[in-house]
Amino acid sequence: MSEQTNPVLTFKDFQSDQEVRWCPGCDDYIILRAMLKALPEMGRKKEDFVFVSGIGCSSRFPYYVGTYGIHGIHGRAAAIATGVKLANPELSVWVMTGDGDAMAIGGNHFIHLIRRNINIKIVMFNNEIYGLTKGQFSPTSLIGQKTYTSPYGNIQPPFNPGQLTIGSSGKYFARVPGNDPKMMEELFVKAEKFKGTASIEVLQNCVIFNDGAFEEITNKETESENQIRIEHGKKMIFGKNKDKGLILKGFKLEVVNIGENGITEDDILVHDAHEADPTLHLMLVRLQNPVVMGEIRRIEETSYDEVYVERMESVAKKSPFKNLDEMFFSGDTYVVE
Amino acid sequence: MKGNEALAEAAILAGCDGYFGYPITPQSEIMEYLMAEQPMHRTGMVVLQAESEIASINMVYGGAGAGKRVMTSSSSPGISLMQEGISYLAGAELPCVIVNVVRGGPGLGTIQPAQSDYFQSVKGGGHGDYKMITLAPFSVQEMADFVALGFDLAFKYRIPVMILSDGAIGQMMEKVVLPVQRPRWTEQEIREMSPWATVGRTKDRHNNIITSLNLKSDVQEEHNRQLQAKYKTIIENEVRYEESYCEDAEVILIAYGTSARICQKAVDIARHQGIKLGLLRPISLFPFPEAALIKYAEKVKGFLSVEMSAGQMVEDIRLVVEGKTKVAHYGRMGGIVPTTDEIIENVKNLIN
Ligand code: SF4
Repeated sequence: MSEQTNPVLTFKDFQSDQEVRWCPGCDDYIILRAMLKALPEMGRKKEDFVFVSGIGCSSRFPYYVGTYGIHGIHGRAAAIATGVKLANPELSVWVMTGDGDAMAIGGNHFIHLIRRNINIKIVMFNNEIYGLTKGQFSPTSLIGQKTYTSPYGNIQPPFNPGQLTIGSSGKYFARVPGNDPKMMEELFVKAEKFKGTASIEVLQNCVIFNDGAFEEITNKETESENQIRIEHGKKMIFGKNKDKGLILKGFKLEVVNIGENGITEDDILVHDAHEADPTLHLMLVRLQNPVVMGEIRRIEETSYDEVYVERMESVAKKSPFKNLDEMFFSGDTYVVE
Repeated sequence: MKGNEALAEAAILAGCDGYFGYPITPQSEIMEYLMAEQPMHRTGMVVLQAESEIASINMVYGGAGAGKRVMTSSSSPGISLMQEGISYLAGAELPCVIVNVVRGGPGLGTIQPAQSDYFQSVKGGGHGDYKMITLAPFSVQEMADFVALGFDLAFKYRIPVMILSDGAIGQMMEKVVLPVQRPRWTEQEIREMSPWATVGRTKDRHNNIITSLNLKSDVQEEHNRQLQAKYKTIIENEVRYEESYCEDAEVILIAYGTSARICQKAVDIARHQGIKLGLLRPISLFPFPEAALIKYAEKVKGFLSVEMSAGQMVEDIRLVVEGKTKVAHYGRMGGIVPTTDEIIENVKNLIN
């Protein structure tokens, strides 16, 4: 990142002139707004940002941000973004993708991007359905879910994006409800500062083909009971009255009521997002009730692109040639006439 | 019935053993119809939504290797993704049916109908010297009929068969007479008719290995020679086309699929105007109706190839005609269909 102070930018600077074409009421609008508000807070120049997408409803995102973007190939955004980042490591590269794009057709590139830990941010709009092709089941659709290609109920078990991220040696995973622009905005800013691949899952409601998929988790009435928002260094406490918490019992997480059965706040687990051992993070991403939101895992290590640039520079330093021409014209040369 | 649905129903009726697909507009109805119809209960046919077109075509590869009647369907970008698998299927000489409900490209292009996948169907598309039998339906009826025909040809020649449709025919509604239910083959029947299939090595069978690999150059060349000989037999025996008003025509339109339907209308209108126009509709694009074209090339003032593309089939017409008559192309792209007026205008230009 350049050291010079960057101009102060606003929401407006990142708006695009394109007509936004998502269905009315779709959570995608909330994600877009949150991103447009987050971008100026990242303190970078507008031209530093690139949004890369594949195919799907989520993948229309680059059109709606006033930065450069690539609307790429179905499933390939992670690979395209890798090319962009390595060609110009100074850029802040964002992959905007969905459950089908990232984990069905793009599953291969997705896990390898994460494995390499390239400094790229992935925002996965998980709506547990194919929206753009009008309602077929996706790799996160639940068992029994009725869709146009599973009219009698889906029989393919779903992926858990957090589990897949951590299973791919992921260093960063966060989850956020699609109806909370504030939390999203904060997360996007935090993720941008992370050096490595950040995988962010947004529980995104598709009003047309899978309406209410996250209703119980995200409904304002019930959310405080059904989700837990965790922060590094803080106790994992939730509930309307902040009277519930997570403890470890044997090899399982357990929800307890503070003040009952002799449980006090001291017994509640403190979230350590920086713990390299993924065991507890895996338990957190898998937890169904409550569903865990926030930065679940954040391990700062050297990212691929940093190592790559360093390596290039050190090799170049050792090389007896300053440039390609010098190399070509070194040693024996012949003139072909 | 919609073209896509008729094709899906025809697949069940053809005794198909397995369908593997991935959603893409404008053909998702094929898999949706099959899922809703639950052919597992009707015939035992398997229907699976894969994680990508690459997975679909490789599931087809596996099913075909076991001697089963298996198929997939997709639309242009998805078919591009399958090309590697198709080349391997052709190399390993495996029978299967692949349906392409074409949309406009290149790239993501449009979801509107087009005919710009002629090249990737009849010229290979994947790597290596291979061919696919390519059938081009121009009605909902043919969408239904070509599934069983496709499987018959696929097994007769151990070759992948492409049904090259387009978004308009896939989405169009028409009356259709469905074929009668064919039973799925029993394991015993497969053993008898497909000695190459990997159906389990019993004492009386070779250990079949499905492969397209021949590291020795002379073996690979011989394999290629055999493939070419097979394609020659197909060219000699499996050409299909339909002609109307060609006998006395001054100009003959050459068109398939949706374009052929518009051309039919254009011929009617032109005949009323006193223009001697005919239509030759290739039904098989590979093998291409070369003999018919050569026959008329001597008689007409010219051929007009009408395609929803920048001009792909026209190249084959030129190759066949070898300058014996004028060959022109008229095409629209991006999901736009040619109109009868435009076609007749081009015919007039050709005559003058
Ligand atoms: S189909 Fe669903 S995900 Fe796509 S824009 Fe509409 S509501 Fe949103």
